Amino acid sequence: MRTLAGVGSTPRSGVGTARWYRPDADLTLPDRPEPDAVDAEAELERYEAARDAAREALQDARDRTAERVGEAEAAVFEAHQGFLDDPTIVEDVEAAIGDGAPAEHAVADRFDEAVAQFEGMEGRMAERADDLRDVRDRLLRELVDDGGGASAATDLAALPHGTILLAERLTPSDTAALDPAAVAGIATVEGGRTAHAAIIARSLAIPAVVGVGEALESVADGETVLVDGEAGEVVVDPNESRRAGAGEAGPNAIRERVETADGRPVEVAANVGGEAELRPAAERGADGVGLFRTEFLFVDRESPPTEEEQYEAITAALAAFPDDRVVVRTLDIGGDKPVSYLDLSDEENPFLGRRGIRLSLDEHADLFETQLRALLRAAATENGDGLAVMFPLVSRVEEVERAVAAVESIAADFADEGVDYAVPELGAMVETPAAAFLADALAERLDFLSVGTNDLAQYVMAADRGNDAVAEYHDPLHPAVLRALNRTTTTVEGTDAWVGMCGEMAGDPALTELLVGLGFDELSMSAVTVPAVKSRVREVDAEDARSLASDAVACETRSEVLDVLGLDENEP
Amino acid sequence: MERTVTVEPEAGLHARPASKLVQTANRFDADVSIGRAADGDDGLVRADSMLSVSGLNVGHGESVRVVAEGPDAEAALDAVCELLTSPVEEEEGSGSGPEDAP
Repeated sequence: MRTLAGVGSTPRSGVGTARWYRPDADLTLPDRPEPDAVDAEAELERYEAARDAAREALQDARDRTAERVGEAEAAVFEAHQGFLDDPTIVEDVEAAIGDGAPAEHAVADRFDEAVAQFEGMEGRMAERADDLRDVRDRLLRELVDDGGGASAATDLAALPHGTILLAERLTPSDTAALDPAAVAGIATVEGGRTAHAAIIARSLAIPAVVGVGEALESVADGETVLVDGEAGEVVVDPNESRRAGAGEAGPNAIRERVETADGRPVEVAANVGGEAELRPAAERGADGVGLFRTEFLFVDRESPPTEEEQYEAITAALAAFPDDRVVVRTLDIGGDKPVSYLDLSDEENPFLGRRGIRLSLDEHADLFETQLRALLRAAATENGDGLAVMFPLVSRVEEVERAVAAVESIAADFADEGVDYAVPELGAMVETPAAAFLADALAERLDFLSVGTNDLAQYVMAADRGNDAVAEYHDPLHPAVLRALNRTTTTVEGTDAWVGMCGEMAGDPALTELLVGLGFDELSMSAVTVPAVKSRVREVDAEDARSLASDAVACETRSEVLDVLGLDENEP
Repeated sequence: MERTVTVEPEAGLHARPASKLVQTANRFDADVSIGRAADGDDGLVRADSMLSVSGLNVGHGESVRVVAEGPDAEAALDAVCELLTSPVEEEEGSGSGPEDAP
């Protein structure tokens, strides 16, 4: 047993098999040819194509990180896009190519010069050097290894189970590509705990120790290594007692279900956007999945997934939470989520157009049917009792009636065919003011409602959630939004349905008391905030919360709401 | 035309505020440049360049001078200064920074 000291980044432990990641090794540039031998025109085109590919990959990384981790962490990829298309860099690279440099040398030279400008500086400036290296390597991978440009990133996404990843340093893109189910830990030579890559690793709940220094080089591929992110240690060939403590849930995870101080149970679940997120969600003590997004099954491919593929994904989610509820949202495309092989018409106002259940009931009834077949079959499996299905962007009672009829017709088909099936709990998302006004009517026809606060705030306030110019309007704490929430919960109270929230608002512990007071039975959030919200629920007194909520709903402005909640202006 | 403003975002001209500034400057035809107010004309750099803007290393509370020239200079100045003087909205639910991540 040999112990190396570093800086603990993710306070968890993991043990596995060491594997070095050395992306720079693949990036050896070909020898520099004579300037006359270079076809400048062709090199400019290669540079352009590499930039296009890198831009697209960055957009994907941005979207994936925003969905899996959070908008703040995704912002680093916007900075990368800024460097990629920086006019001063582009102009210099193009000039160098014009002077006879091949594209990869022109790129490497210009970026190295920029890196040198930031290297050796402190804090934020040093992070810029990392950003520039990341962008440079992306471009070089495209250029040096034409066509297989994404190879390094793909390898990271497909590491064998139980890998302890060792690296000089990891870029944010590297880290965001990791599969938290496969990677048991990360240890790096360089880096501090506030680097973007460390933050992303933390959000993916991957044990990590950074800044181990050159000593890490003494670890060879294939050795058994324990990464202890709490103690900040990398242990090579750990003994039994060290190993026994590894792989357990983080210190803050609360495994059992929680209730308020005066005994009202509140379910705290996780939003999950892919199979890789199931394990971290379970480890953080989520009481099930409150929003299982199915879009990941549909994007980045040429044709829609089969019934079998969807069935597999749903049963995997159920298996990860055998005793809990898993709420699967049917396909929510349209709006800002285009899918290449679906012929979605261009609309002037996509957010007010064909999206969510509207597409599922008409244009894409075929996809909807396939998805419902997979869901009804999954509901009949071993862990299928916990399955629930919800429909996105409902605005009319008729939509719910048609969706329920579609479920019943598939059930009838299965009965005829002799296929095992069960009808899961059915629910609707409350994302439109229409659904909030009709909450009682929807609840009478369904088992539950779940509020999507991001869209609800957008539609109540008439403010595009992606438009920074109206960011102050897109405000979940605006009294108008709170009244929409209150109307939903109070009118549902008289029915048998339960009501949850699966928007980002649910994951803010500063708002837990308010949401409990409004009457939500379930809160579903990014897995990272589950432990904090669970521990907050235990402190809340449901009666006090109720009076706090009614005070907040009575407010007329955001600042009055903040006063009532005792929050600062910049809090949520 | 030009304007001098105090940088409000907590992060200064780094990370997200820097990206937003560059994206905004790129939206206009006008040539927009930016620099520390105290550094005069020599301190001005292109506002449409992430490299140049990050290189300024301007922090929260510093005074910067923004110069715009071209057909939509006034609109560009308005947009850029608006950004510089708005405290950054931290997106809801993403408060998973190093300190509060469990």
